Amino acid sequence: MIGVILKISARNVWRQKKRSFLLAGAIAFGMFVITIINGLTGGVVGNIRVNFAHALGGHVFISGTEYSNQGIIYRVADDKELLAALDRYGDVVESVTRRSQTMASLIFGSRQAMQLVYGVDFEAEDKLLDSLVVTAGSLQDVTSEQLAIIPRSVAERLGVEPGETILMRLDTVTGQRNVGEFVVIALIEDQERYGISAVYVKRAYLNSLLGLEAHDYQALNLFLVTMEDADRVGSGFRTALGVPEPKRLADVRGIDDEQAMAELFGFSRAAEIEPWEGTRYQVTTINQIMEPVEAAVNALKTIGLVIFFILLVITMVGITNTFRMILIERTKEIGTMRAFGMQRHVVRNVFLMEALLLSAGGAAVGLIVYGLAALILGRIAWDTVPAMQFFLDQGRITFAASPGEIGSNICLVLFMSLLAAYFPAKAAAKLSPVKAMSSNL
Amino acid sequence: MQKHRVMLILLICVSCLTAAAAAKDFSLIEQILRKVDEQSSFPDTDLSAVMTMIIEDPEQGLEKIVVRHFRRDDGERFLLLIEEPRTQRGQGYLLEGDNLWFYDPSSRKFAHTSLKESFQGTDARNADFSQWSYATSYKVVDYTEGTLGNFPVYIVDLEAVDDTVPYPYAKLWITKENHLVLRTQEFSLNKRLMRSGLFPSYARVENGVIPTQMIFIDELVEGKKTQITLSEISTAKLPDNVFTKAFLERANR
Repeated sequence: MIGVILKISARNVWRQKKRSFLLAGAIAFGMFVITIINGLTGGVVGNIRVNFAHALGGHVFISGTEYSNQGIIYRVADDKELLAALDRYGDVVESVTRRSQTMASLIFGSRQAMQLVYGVDFEAEDKLLDSLVVTAGSLQDVTSEQLAIIPRSVAERLGVEPGETILMRLDTVTGQRNVGEFVVIALIEDQERYGISAVYVKRAYLNSLLGLEAHDYQALNLFLVTMEDADRVGSGFRTALGVPEPKRLADVRGIDDEQAMAELFGFSRAAEIEPWEGTRYQVTTINQIMEPVEAAVNALKTIGLVIFFILLVITMVGITNTFRMILIERTKEIGTMRAFGMQRHVVRNVFLMEALLLSAGGAAVGLIVYGLAALILGRIAWDTVPAMQFFLDQGRITFAASPGEIGSNICLVLFMSLLAAYFPAKAAAKLSPVKAMSSNL
Repeated sequence: MQKHRVMLILLICVSCLTAAAAAKDFSLIEQILRKVDEQSSFPDTDLSAVMTMIIEDPEQGLEKIVVRHFRRDDGERFLLLIEEPRTQRGQGYLLEGDNLWFYDPSSRKFAHTSLKESFQGTDARNADFSQWSYATSYKVVDYTEGTLGNFPVYIVDLEAVDDTVPYPYAKLWITKENHLVLRTQEFSLNKRLMRSGLFPSYARVENGVIPTQMIFIDELVEGKKTQITLSEISTAKLPDNVFTKAFLERANR
């Protein structure tokens, strides 16, 4: 029976090509809009995650602090506990990077700028160089011990260009003053507004200025096989290293900044420092850092969903009206079919199947158009817009609508279409064969 | 043969000179450093003054900061209360033993800071306003005699005994006559000159002396320097509640 219903419905849809095309077109447009918004936001979040991960040097970040007479010292001196925990997660960890970092004053002539500086082992972090967007100079040769890769905005503030030498004033881990000379080899695009603006230098040289040994490090960062494991691995390391679970962004809304920092990241400048023994760890995941970005993206997704819903409601009103018209047009035909013995529920199902075919066709076309748009737009290199680079994958837009989102959008379209067609279908099923056949319409 | 003998004598001479240099007696200089510490310390009296800082920054131009300074060496305490500019008025620093607090009236919060940090972005360090000891923080590694202007001075090279001081190496110009530090040079861990200090005038306060004019020159940023002038110096006894967090909070009401 279903075959017959399908055949009749398909014929009816095909009979009114123009009308069917317009209805399916409206559905396709709605489907295309919501899928491209989902795809774009999904791609942007994915790219930001990847670029953040490379810029920060991992997906899970573990730093250590010690207490000494001089106060807090940032370093992981005794890492036995940490390496033991690392062994347990060997199968999900793709690579490990070790970094040092400091807030330093960069000086060029009479100008200076405070800046976060990462000490990086460039040989071990080959992906970092690929993720940096160079605006001047080159990253081809990173062999010099005293090289510095600095954000373009900082270079503009200092008035420095690649090839020139800058001074870096910093404090050693015990708080003593030190100064180093660095040759700027490249300027890179930074993302200051998302909290990532850092100078990259060689770890061994930075360590010598910080008063650390060349092999020492202040943070151990983990690149995971899949980024989805970040929370699980982060939580595992917190348990192993005795670090309390941090609060989420939603939990600290409304409380003051200082307390929020303490709740989110486990430190506060407002608290009296209690001395402690050994290394105290801090474990942060890429998801914690990405929370504000994802909140912004989710807001965009919600706007997209609202637009989609409005489009869908408009289309559904169109479908209801169209099916009411169809009902009037086919009154005699329905009467004849009913006279030949067609049951009421079959008449209703024919109408519903027509709506289903239209919406499924529209949704399929919307998805095909999305696929084509993604293919074409994804091939364009947006090298001329440096500010966008952090959202892109090596200069290209990425679309990543999740199957779950696509599936739920299709279900929504089909459900709304069936709902829109249900009442005209019910009215068609209720028609009396005699009255329908004697109708003048 | 004659040539070998001359060489041998020369070698012996050089060895003797090196040994003599190595055995240079620093006890006099160490004594002078103790004297410098002694006359800049006020264990039996409180000290208060108004400090006017003129900061010359090639990027930001001239800036003036007026700070009221309260100091009690017995118990290692000081309180700095910013009076000018208006935007920073009420901000303050409180040293209580090992803890140095910074108070910001806009957030009404105290935050930990360090004696090693610079004061309000100037070329002065927070430590410059507290009791200070060259004799215990540094050891003498060398000295020479010379003149600075018209003053005969000892030029003393110092090396920090541990990492509690911000500058690991320092050079002092100390007058022979009354043991006043007229000039300082402070060096980074890798021995690069970072800051110079000039102390052209002193005032006698009770049994000690206090520089009434200090000029700190940033040797890394061209043209950046801070001049500090002290006025309204007093040794009157200060109430105990001056060196409390509550005083800083109340000072803004």
